[in-house]
Amino acid sequence: MKTKLMVLAISLASFSGVAMGFDFGKLLEDRLNQELNKDKKTQPAPAQPPAGAQSAAASPPTSKQKVDVGQLGFALFGDYSPEEENRIGKQISGNLLGAVPLVRDDGLQRYVNLVGNWVALQTGRKNTTWHFGVLDSEDINAFAAPGGYIFLTKGLYRRLNNEAELAGVLAHEIAHVTQRHHLKVLKKSSLIGALGQAASSKAQGSDQMVQNLIGNGAEIMARGLDKDAEFEADRVGIVFAARAGYDVWGLPNVLQDMAALPAKDNRTSLLYKTHPHPADRLAALGEAVDGRLDDIQGKELANRLYKIR
Amino acid sequence: MKKFLIPVSAFLLCVSAASAWASPGTVLRNERLFSQPTSGSKVEANVAKGTSVNILSKQGGWLRVTAGRSTGWIRLLSVRAGAGGSGGSGVGDVFGAATTRSDPSRVVAVAGLRGLNDEDLKQAKFNADELARLEAGTVTTSQAQSFAKQSGLIAVNVPGLPEPKPAQSSSSWENN
Repeated sequence: MKTKLMVLAISLASFSGVAMGFDFGKLLEDRLNQELNKDKKTQPAPAQPPAGAQSAAASPPTSKQKVDVGQLGFALFGDYSPEEENRIGKQISGNLLGAVPLVRDDGLQRYVNLVGNWVALQTGRKNTTWHFGVLDSEDINAFAAPGGYIFLTKGLYRRLNNEAELAGVLAHEIAHVTQRHHLKVLKKSSLIGALGQAASSKAQGSDQMVQNLIGNGAEIMARGLDKDAEFEADRVGIVFAARAGYDVWGLPNVLQDMAALPAKDNRTSLLYKTHPHPADRLAALGEAVDGRLDDIQGKELANRLYKIR
Repeated sequence: MKKFLIPVSAFLLCVSAASAWASPGTVLRNERLFSQPTSGSKVEANVAKGTSVNILSKQGGWLRVTAGRSTGWIRLLSVRAGAGGSGGSGVGDVFGAATTRSDPSRVVAVAGLRGLNDEDLKQAKFNADELARLEAGTVTTSQAQSFAKQSGLIAVNVPGLPEPKPAQSSSSWENN
């Protein structure tokens, strides 16, 4: 009886969540229309003979000016296509790389791509080109962007003891992509305020349409996801790493290492801000795993871990 | 060379000091201590959530700990390492990674460096060259497969994990 009630409560809660999501979607759509129409209005009117007193700008909006949000290529309802996800991920990644460049070590980058792609193969996700990069920062953190863009910092990489730990970290980030966590954030209210106000980036290759969707620069990476998304990425990621044949305790070992880090450390301030405490992540993962992975024998591959310069 | 010496000496210390070399931890859920690192072995004691333990060693998904007068094996995911509430400098030696405290060279390397922060990310300007560099490093499926094969990694079928029921108390980063 108790469980039934709980199931009911949970399903009710999730329904209301969906409803809220739609409301936010509608809000976002209205706002988008507003912004786009405003852009239209402020555009210089096409050169035309001054035939009448009526200027183009003053004319009432015609049906043509009503913007079909579908034209944007971004579904505000339902799922984004793989191409749309990739377009969003590319813009976020280009911005992130504007803040922190890649480590100039081709051997390291290739190694991380090989491990990451092998783990990503176990997700069953199709139509994705996965990109992995080690960022030249002593910060301790890792990031994922939609469409298959994954980053970890040199500071985090240095703390790893074997390939299974690397696989565990990458698997957690890969899970953010397969579970579309950032896209869910985009569809919620948090970024509506930034919509249309994103600093115009004249940089070559920058996608202003996507930039308007994601806010300024790579700030979406500083906002973080909700706790449940992090717990889910741990739960899904540990399984991806296990499926790839790695020791399943790679990710838990990294979490243990982080649990023991001192709090007052510049290198972890962003991590602290955007993630639940590792002790909570261990506890949540412990509830989910219990004895279910006891019989899995994976490889740690300590010797193959690429030695960073 | 120096890099190599640190873990080796830490390991030797662990071995020579044996039980004297313990690091603190806290039990995260009501658990059992087993006589062996397997749930089929004898239960030595029950430990309640919040119990302080000393972590003695690690084997796969298990930690050998002492809790009060009992010693036994507990699941890795049922314990958090570190000093926790006691104002802590982290102690991560059981987990192999040198902590900031035990590896002074690392502290020197970071001194004066500011970590990544919100403002850096917000102000970030799109860098097409770095993105191109990233995308040029992409590897193919077959390259990843042969890389896995080289070290004997074989894909195994592991079912997904169920979503556990919600609600656990939350820890604060401030307590680290």
